[in-house]
Amino acid sequence: MSNEKDCSMYTEHVESGKRKVTIQLKVNGHQVVRDIDPTMSLLHFLRDDQKLFGTKEACGEGECGACTVIMNGKAVTSCIVLAVEADGAEIKTVEGLAKNGKLSILQEEFIAEDALQCGFCTPGFLMSSRALLDHNPNPSDEEIIEVLSGNLCRCTGYIPILRAVKTAAERERKELGR
Amino acid sequence: MTDKQYESKYKRVGQRYNRKDAQEKVTGQALYTYDLEFPGMLHARCLFSPYARAKIVSIDTSKAKALPGVRAVLTGEDSDILVGLYMQDKRALSKGETRYHGDIVAAVAAVDEDTAERAISLLDVKYEPLEPVHNVDEALEAKTLVHDDINHLKHIEGVFFPQKDSNIASWNKSRKGDLDKAFAEADLVVENEFSLPAVAHVPMETHVAIVQEDPYSKKIRIWSSAQSPFAIRQIMADSFGISETDVEVHIPFVGGGFGGKAGIHLEPLATLLSRAAGGAPVKLRATREAEFNTLPTRAGMRGRIKSGVTKDGKITAIRVNYDWDSGAYADYGVNVGKTAVYSGLGPYAVENASIDSKTIYTNKVFSTAYRGFGHLETHWSIERQIDILSQKLGIDPYEFRMKNLLEPGTRTMSGELITESSGSPKDCLTAVVKEIGWTGRKTEEERQREWKTGKVRGKGFAMLQKAPAMPANTASSVIMQMNGDGHVKMMIGAVDFGQGANTVMAQIAAQILDIPIEHIEVMSEIDTRANPYDWNTVASKYTFMGGNAVIKASKEMLRKIKEVAAQALRTEPEMLAHAGGEVFHVHNPERRLSYKDIALGYMYPGGNSIGGPVISSGSSIADGLSNLHPETGQGLPALDWTFGAHAVELEVDVETGNIEILKIASAFDIGQVINEKLVYGQITGGVVQGLGSAILEGYKFNKNVQLMNPSFTDNKIPTMKDMPKEIVPIYIENPQHDGPFGARGVGEHPMISVPSAIGNAIYDALGINFHVLPLSPEAIMLGILSGKKEILGTDVENLPGH
Amino acid sequence: MLSRFDYFKPHNLNEAMQYLVKDEKTFVLAGGTDLMILLRRNLIDARHILDIKSLPETQVFEFVEGAGLTIGASVVVNKIVDSELVKAKYPAFNEAAAALASFQLRNRATVVGNICNASPGADLPPALLVFDTVVNIVGLNGSRQVKLHEFFTGVKRTVLQPGELVVSITIPEPEPGEKSTYLRQARLRGHDLATVGVASRLKPDGKVALGICAVAPTPLRLFALEDQISQRGLSEETAVWAAQEIKNHIRPITDVRSSAAYRLHMASVLLKRGLLKLLGKEG
Repeated sequence: MSNEKDCSMYTEHVESGKRKVTIQLKVNGHQVVRDIDPTMSLLHFLRDDQKLFGTKEACGEGECGACTVIMNGKAVTSCIVLAVEADGAEIKTVEGLAKNGKLSILQEEFIAEDALQCGFCTPGFLMSSRALLDHNPNPSDEEIIEVLSGNLCRCTGYIPILRAVKTAAERERKELGR
Repeated sequence: MTDKQYESKYKRVGQRYNRKDAQEKVTGQALYTYDLEFPGMLHARCLFSPYARAKIVSIDTSKAKALPGVRAVLTGEDSDILVGLYMQDKRALSKGETRYHGDIVAAVAAVDEDTAERAISLLDVKYEPLEPVHNVDEALEAKTLVHDDINHLKHIEGVFFPQKDSNIASWNKSRKGDLDKAFAEADLVVENEFSLPAVAHVPMETHVAIVQEDPYSKKIRIWSSAQSPFAIRQIMADSFGISETDVEVHIPFVGGGFGGKAGIHLEPLATLLSRAAGGAPVKLRATREAEFNTLPTRAGMRGRIKSGVTKDGKITAIRVNYDWDSGAYADYGVNVGKTAVYSGLGPYAVENASIDSKTIYTNKVFSTAYRGFGHLETHWSIERQIDILSQKLGIDPYEFRMKNLLEPGTRTMSGELITESSGSPKDCLTAVVKEIGWTGRKTEEERQREWKTGKVRGKGFAMLQKAPAMPANTASSVIMQMNGDGHVKMMIGAVDFGQGANTVMAQIAAQILDIPIEHIEVMSEIDTRANPYDWNTVASKYTFMGGNAVIKASKEMLRKIKEVAAQALRTEPEMLAHAGGEVFHVHNPERRLSYKDIALGYMYPGGNSIGGPVISSGSSIADGLSNLHPETGQGLPALDWTFGAHAVELEVDVETGNIEILKIASAFDIGQVINEKLVYGQITGGVVQGLGSAILEGYKFNKNVQLMNPSFTDNKIPTMKDMPKEIVPIYIENPQHDGPFGARGVGEHPMISVPSAIGNAIYDALGINFHVLPLSPEAIMLGILSGKKEILGTDVENLPGH
Repeated sequence: MLSRFDYFKPHNLNEAMQYLVKDEKTFVLAGGTDLMILLRRNLIDARHILDIKSLPETQVFEFVEGAGLTIGASVVVNKIVDSELVKAKYPAFNEAAAALASFQLRNRATVVGNICNASPGADLPPALLVFDTVVNIVGLNGSRQVKLHEFFTGVKRTVLQPGELVVSITIPEPEPGEKSTYLRQARLRGHDLATVGVASRLKPDGKVALGICAVAPTPLRLFALEDQISQRGLSEETAVWAAQEIKNHIRPITDVRSSAAYRLHMASVLLKRGLLKLLGKEG
């Protein structure tokens, strides 16, 4: 996959008159090639096209973080990324966290610390946290708070989430040698 | 006892179990109504009124209808169905006149959201803007009526009291003692006004409903992000004139509610759209803007309080007026107003008192229940007033409260006798005051000294109380079935939308049956066809009422198991004990059977069988509640009072007005902790939500009563950076004799009085009394700069129009 | 979103420029954090989206001795937050970048986008103004450079002409021994637009530069006040004096975010605190 691919080639969609553009990307490790409407956001691509319903929309304007996914190693709010911008990208969503039927340490700690109540913001928090720990296995409280304050939660008061990320970082360092 | 140090005397009740549905939620498997799709499903969008009050002159729908993919276009002319929880004052779509900026004017169902949005943009509406009712003062003048049919609105009579030819949706009252005499005899009389703006619930999942009206059977099928499936069923049946049985309501996972999803909201409109589209399922989802501006909010409120006290600090008289700026429709707002007349004094014993609570229509976004409804608002007024009284008397605010708090032998505003079983406000206050190291108010000299450093610290505290606000016939029920493996499948009628009902109920059943909590499965999706009735999932009532129902059902299950086991073991049921999923003879424990041997019926070695599948049920009803007397407000409205207190230490930057919450200690007399982990989460979550109301949140309207902050850009909620530095939850356990294991509810309470405690701490720091929320950096700073000691607020309606 | 648009990712600048002039309803996409909201709220009607992220010119992040730091239009704000070079040479810029929006948004939002959006309350312009930043603009008929303080013309308006594109900015090299800082006030600690933001810079020769946002239709460079301060010489007394004097140089408005009165007060406090910080006297 390359960024150099000419994206200006469209096929006219006969019925709706909408233009389509082909994108090729990796979603949770799987190769995906799709023809999409260029107005589609990455969030809608993941949900409506890929049927990955774990990623949520709660504002649609990048303010709440519920739609956070990891794009090329960075946490982004997928509601304000065009799907076509993800051409050639590697995307990770909440569905990609658990491996071989086993929850990741981060997910386990979210459960153990009760870092969720209604659960709607949880995928976004998990992905922001995952991106943080991937870059910084030993973050300070301030670093965690800086990164996670782009995610809104109305249920928990955040303290359990902070605890979960700290204990997950500790366990990952110990158990995975990060 | 705080947090992880907590130890329960029970094996399962009180333990720190993980919540039951956590695994689905951390893997993205949990499906919310927002996630659901059905064959042939259409998507709906609405057109909202751009004016607070306007005549709808005409709507041209022709272009929208002609757009390919559009299946239904509706306006107010298409239906006269009226909806309302307590007063039938709201149409699914406005007709003739719009009543707030955000009122729904038209709706479209189309093959996808994009097409629906485009169709909405093609609607041509001509409005004639009318002068809106801006605020409660204008509303009380009644020159313009928000509902000119108020004299004829159908409502629950004897409970709510709409006033003729007025904007008062309900005027509720309570009276006791001889107030005039008490004021005349008081050593000091102090009168104050306090207020706070409307605030949004902000559930992360916005309101969403999917409805299909079966074109053949006329049955209505609803999937909704809602708290009260059975209330939706009943109101839909009433409004659409069909049998309750013909309405099925499904509640999948719910992404937060906080009272905003307690009533009925998008379901009637989605039903009409489904009907107009020939019976296709229609999904109607509020955008975040609509969530702020169309769906209901917490009402703004103004409290005026006059108190009489003796020199030695006894409150002898209180006269209270609460005016609720409830917006365009009554919804839950009238019940909020009603609650204020029996709980609006706070947890104090005052012999002479009156409360007048008016739920008032204005042309603003309408109001509904919000976490502990009415209580954050009334306690903002009461607890600030108590603090000001103690200032004027020169008495320590802790001592002053201790002299006046409810205790066994005293009576509440509605005349209820407080006993040892009611819980103790004093224990809560004493615990939090100790936790923050209260040694008395700062002197003016201390303040001045600190002021020079640029930062001033202050400490303050506030009491709170709340009982579930609910009808006297409120009921809960549960059905339990045992599987062949001895595990139990439980169906409840309440929705677990994050508060943890499923986990708590499983723990109670596991405690009584003495089986691991993992062996109890609580069905996580509510379906009114299968799940047993529950009134509403609101009011912090469910641990108490659901818990009691589960205790009954679990005991019945145990009795049935023991009856069969007794026969099989050739003894009497009374001779059997149970432990670890087995029943055994009390004297010869080798005579034993496992639950699973009995679960589907017991078969003797020879093949004869007895018993049959073990199924049990349990119900509970609000025991002993009475309707309040319409004039005096006397009666028994409270199933269980949960008392509590917050104490705060904070630091104010006197140059910027920024506040840092250094510590907040919060104690609640919850009788018995059922799950420490979940209680902890209710407290941290509630405190931070209360903090939002205290220092940040609020609706801002311009002079045309248009909402100026309908998005996260300008309607902020606290983020992780805004957490208090430390939250210390304290659990007080004075058991309630008729509660499950002695427990009381605590879901809503942590939010109440957080603003009051912060307001009181700010007084301690600055020597300034703030009367208006939010206590934003701007409000604090402008208050300081004004040089005044009483800050009565800024005019929030002076913003320029669109 | 009502807009129906094509998406174009050019191979080179020329291709980009050709595409840009074809239709006035062409909008430039870099980070998209503002553009996507305009589209969602139907505040613009876009027919073409020109994604400039693949252009090498926009990916530049290069410091040249004597010339300064050039930042391409695709460089995201978190790059500035993480840059040791920016921390060392342009502390005010680093602080403004760290204060902007949320972490996720800073992974997408670009420095140049924050300028081109021309919001009166944007955080980066005050900091970039004090460093005499130059905006590098390319058009079909060649390129031009505009000083940042001449770039903004009004609320959401700039000197950019149709068919022009900002490919980068250049921040001249600071002198050794400089100090600078950016301070802001918002409604909460979490991500929010600035109620007021003040950047201040002290050069070794004692000259002061000041930039401010959210107190006028555009971000401002306070040249007149700078001169007055420089004439008096920066001291604690001057800082206190300047904090009063700034009220004569700005005209904030009341809006949903703040009253004019509070903005005026905070401009004063933040200026004083900024200047004291430059003097090594943090309040």
